[in-house]
Amino acid sequence: MSLADGPGFGARLKRARSRLFERGNGLLLLQTVLVYLFLYVPIFVLVVLSFNDSRYALVWQGFTTRWYEALLAGEVVARVNPEAAFTALAHSIEIAFVTVVVSTVFGTMLAFALDRHDFPGKRFLLGVVYMPIIIPSIVMGISLLLFFNLVGIGLGVHTAIIGHVAFDISFVAVVVAARLRSFDRTLEEAAKDLGATELETFRYVTFPVIKPGVVAGALLAFAMSFDDFVVTFFIIGNQNTLPIFFFSMVRQGISPGVNVIATLILVVTLAVVAAAQWIEGPIW
Amino acid sequence: MASETTSKRDSRGRSGAAIDAARNHRLAGLVVNLAPSAFWLGLFFLIPLGVMFYYSFGQRGAFGEVLIGLEYLGLDQYRTFFVPDGANVLEAIWYTLAWLVEFVVPFELAATDPTPYVQLTLKSIAYGLFATLVSLAVGYPAAYYIGRIAPEEYQDLLLVLVILPFWASFLVRIYAIQILLSGNSVLTNALGILPFVEAGASLMNSRLAVLIGLVYIWIPFMILPVYATIEQIDFTLQEAAMDLGADRFDAFRRVVFPLSAPGVVAGSILVFIPSTGAYVIPELLGGPDSQMIGNFIANQFGAAGNWPLGSAASFVLMGVMLAAIAVYLRYGEAESV
Repeated sequence: MSLADGPGFGARLKRARSRLFERGNGLLLLQTVLVYLFLYVPIFVLVVLSFNDSRYALVWQGFTTRWYEALLAGEVVARVNPEAAFTALAHSIEIAFVTVVVSTVFGTMLAFALDRHDFPGKRFLLGVVYMPIIIPSIVMGISLLLFFNLVGIGLGVHTAIIGHVAFDISFVAVVVAARLRSFDRTLEEAAKDLGATELETFRYVTFPVIKPGVVAGALLAFAMSFDDFVVTFFIIGNQNTLPIFFFSMVRQGISPGVNVIATLILVVTLAVVAAAQWIEGPIW
Repeated sequence: MASETTSKRDSRGRSGAAIDAARNHRLAGLVVNLAPSAFWLGLFFLIPLGVMFYYSFGQRGAFGEVLIGLEYLGLDQYRTFFVPDGANVLEAIWYTLAWLVEFVVPFELAATDPTPYVQLTLKSIAYGLFATLVSLAVGYPAAYYIGRIAPEEYQDLLLVLVILPFWASFLVRIYAIQILLSGNSVLTNALGILPFVEAGASLMNSRLAVLIGLVYIWIPFMILPVYATIEQIDFTLQEAAMDLGADRFDAFRRVVFPLSAPGVVAGSILVFIPSTGAYVIPELLGGPDSQMIGNFIANQFGAAGNWPLGSAASFVLMGVMLAAIAVYLRYGEAESV
């Protein structure tokens, strides 16, 4: 180890490191491609397997649409009963619809209160608003279960709606408040100075500006409610929603019927999001 | 407040009684806007948490019933949770620390292990930390590529492609992972070309499966905040560092990475919190040895039927979350403001 032997280990390491970083862009591109493959390959495989002409194997045996045809015709495919799935779907839509209406109205009002006013206890309230987003769903679901049990409210679709509104208010409030923060309030003052009443100001000035935020909040609320499993699982009693039905199917293993249901859920949720993007532009 | 009133008088030419009226009006507006949400969150979020907190001080009766009368209240559940039989608090802390150190030293330090509940909690935290580290290692380069190297016209598209899976159903995505990890799937058969790997062997019901599931579900939450900070970085600083003699690695380590730290902290919290509190992922992908504290809590309210212990475990889990958020407020937000 003398200088005459050439550069030492440290220097050689440094040079290798530097060379690696010069190749950086290519390696980063490779890494990014791998991340996208990781995100999309499982979903792709799931969709492809729903067209697989085999009752059990995970190996491709040829293209078929017979699982779709059977389920849509009302036949039971490998334990998956389409009638039960349809009832569960109806519950999911009912819960999500009521939840979205209530939580969008309440959450938007809350966003106004938080954006436009300073009041004692505001920091505490902000903490409470963020908590349903942050705390584990299982804690939220079980605490509601204990509460309903203690108060003596029977479980069902109505209790699920109560729970969903409780977490969706927060999501709507956060999204709408973000939109309000960039709202130019002199527009409202101008409207009022020009003689608009408070309601007219809201209808013709404020709401059109914050509408994308409200729509985004409502869609987020819909997605959260429609997709929620954990909270619903504990507070819906013996009723089913689509995620709960799906969960019980998944537990029994992989089957063509489950693949079809999964693909249909995937297509519907992504269609809702795509529609939202198309109407409002990028909502994130 | 006072300056606001005077400015109002200036701009609108109002004074005296008119200002009072406006102030009352504002107050009414605040109350009306606030009341519905405050009512809902109070009655259906805070009070249930309070009920759960109260239960955590109760006891389990001989026949599995819950005893929450005043005469039963106490710290029994928390003692059961943290302190092994016949030990005192100091010994319990020592057993816990020794148990952790025993992972790196080859000899036994303490006579007794901590309670199974403490072991489970620490194991869940370890899952959360692993998921966070893997998400960071895998997600940071991708976020860097999207924010810095990708042509600007593709950045939005690339971001949408990261967010899109988040909008797809949570359970469906876990099911998709389950398909890939099952025996004889495309992936498990392809892994057979590696030496020492049996083709088609199932990867399901293992710790690895849980970890893959956690990273798969939450990695978008790491990429997004990291991208957001990298996109804001003034990269002339990196050039300056290199002009001053730093090589690419040093410029990254000492300039770029510290500037992206708020995003890294935010992303880490966003991955760590839901990963540690996970319930569905270990339930569907894990085996008996890879259950987490969320499964334990659910079990106490189901088959095991010990509601007070389950409540106490819930508040221990919430304590872990609060600690994580405290770290975030200390290191994350402070730097980004």
